[in-house]
Amino acid sequence: MTSYIDQFPEEARLVKAAMVSAFLALAVGATFGLLQVLHRTGMVRVLSSADYYTALTAHGVLLALTFTIFFLVALFTWGITTSLDRNLPSMRFAWGWYGTMVVGALMAVVAIFAGFLTEPPTLLGEELSASVLFTFYAPLQAHPLFYLGLAIFVIGTWIAGYDWFRTYWAWKRDNPDERTPLPAFMALTTMLFWWLSSAGVAIAIVVFLLPWSLGIVDSVNPLLTRTLFWFFGHAVVYFWLMPAYMLWYILLPKLSGGKLFSDPLARVVFVLFLLLSTPTGIHHQYMDPGIAEGFKFIVMVNTMFLLLPSLLTAFTVVASMEHGARQRGGTGKLRWLGKLPWRDPVFTGMALSGLLFAAAGFSGMINAGMNINYLVHNTFWIVGHFHLTVGTAVALTFMAGSYWFIPQVTGKPLWNRTAGLVQVLLWFLGMVFMSNAMHRAGLLGVPRRTAEPQYENFAFEGAIGSVGELDAQVVLGGTLLAISTIIFLVTIVMTMLGDRGEVPDNSYAGTLSGPEHSPAILDNLKLWTAIALVLIVLAYSLPLAAIVQRGGLFGPGIDGITRVLPPIDTIGGLVEWVVGR
Amino acid sequence: MSQPTDPPGTPPDSAIERELTHDEFDPIGTAVLITLYFLILVGMWLFTYFVEFLGNGPTVVGVIG
Repeated sequence: MTSYIDQFPEEARLVKAAMVSAFLALAVGATFGLLQVLHRTGMVRVLSSADYYTALTAHGVLLALTFTIFFLVALFTWGITTSLDRNLPSMRFAWGWYGTMVVGALMAVVAIFAGFLTEPPTLLGEELSASVLFTFYAPLQAHPLFYLGLAIFVIGTWIAGYDWFRTYWAWKRDNPDERTPLPAFMALTTMLFWWLSSAGVAIAIVVFLLPWSLGIVDSVNPLLTRTLFWFFGHAVVYFWLMPAYMLWYILLPKLSGGKLFSDPLARVVFVLFLLLSTPTGIHHQYMDPGIAEGFKFIVMVNTMFLLLPSLLTAFTVVASMEHGARQRGGTGKLRWLGKLPWRDPVFTGMALSGLLFAAAGFSGMINAGMNINYLVHNTFWIVGHFHLTVGTAVALTFMAGSYWFIPQVTGKPLWNRTAGLVQVLLWFLGMVFMSNAMHRAGLLGVPRRTAEPQYENFAFEGAIGSVGELDAQVVLGGTLLAISTIIFLVTIVMTMLGDRGEVPDNSYAGTLSGPEHSPAILDNLKLWTAIALVLIVLAYSLPLAAIVQRGGLFGPGIDGITRVLPPIDTIGGLVEWVVGR
Repeated sequence: MSQPTDPPGTPPDSAIERELTHDEFDPIGTAVLITLYFLILVGMWLFTYFVEFLGNGPTVVGVIG
């Protein structure tokens, strides 16, 4: 038996540190989730309604960015080293990018948490606060520390990507004729679209929002910074989701006792995500005035194409599970399902998260349609949708995966299998209640992102049930999720405190149809990146040009950059003087 | 079912009764599940149509002048 810590002891320490960082973010972020559920429904109010937005910001940033991304850098580091059977070139460098991410995350979190204080400390001449929600739309303004922290965090992930790529390049030099192993291929394609898309949010932060919060420029063009946010904002959901897909493709078949149905199909899926993740962001802005309908239509078409790789995944992953079940004696059209290892929390957690992701596929199709999106935009429906996607497909897969990874990186067996199984079942059940009620409430028009969703002299009326019943379901679901999180954290801590023992081998699923069946062009990352760039230019150049033309780079006219103009004038004068001589 | 004594995440090799190669494996169960999913999607779309479009008044688009 060889676990990851035996093969890669140095890397295992890094993977463990990144996972622990993710779990810390989960612990704090989930606490705010429970507080929000209780507050919104009016059951128990610990926070003031003004502080609700600070809590909501912390919940969004800690769970959607910190928890997910710390976990996925750990996962990709594992995937690259295990599948290439190769160490990272320099552990000092690797700890460097991890440290960069930690520093960035802490800066953003400090700025957010200062918002809870009645008298927040002053830094750089401004009060610390960042109650701007996960999307930090202007004109909501945060303290510069928040923007700077986010930028540093993202830069940390960029360096991590470079580290994986140089490991891959070194492997390629030694193995010029071999196909890229699937886990490495998945990590690299994901990283490519992350670089492309996160450039958008980096520009929004560094060029516009940070100078604005520092007082260097007086204003920004809110539609421009929003559009740059969503340039990254939809791709980031695939940045969370691709690691979950990776686990479904390479671990689920093995746990089922079978093999991955098709390596080539898996590669096609990841290439499609590289191509289409970014030129779809404007579908979050269907209701934004200032972007022409035609541009929105192009983005809708791109989005509908994105259903394809997810449907391919549904087929490949389920077929791989079926292969395992039939190898273990499963028969019939559906009876084989009973032969799957449902008592294994790693398997069950991932399978259930896949099931809820199928439900999210339906609400996603509603969101993606330009006309029907108008019915649900900015309602509680959207919150229900992304708690099925990032909140279950990603989070539950990561939690179930942790029951496999923590033994790998510590050499210690899982503390309690039953606790793990109860945990994943509770998460599934809690999310079914909470998310279903959120979707239905959205159809009644209940808004999202508000501490006080009920108004005087106005009642939301449902065809079936009542707002009280929906609120009760949201609270029930949220409470089950909080209990599930506690059981998860206890299981992880107890596992890490345990003694070393027998753990599963560090290996992943074999394939029925292997890389030898996939066309070599699929591994041509330069080609796919070039096509991805062309699609981004097609989808974004005209809308961005129109937004800047109408609203200016820094708001209408050039009034916003009065403080920048004098130094530019001086430089211009100098140049003129030099040229004149 | 894998044995309760196996560490979680262990492939249940011991329980494998037969090896199925690529050509021997016919994922008919997957086809059944995906067909069910497709039927559920169609049903949900029909439901949405009745609830949201027939249940509400017409939506005014454009400028009312």
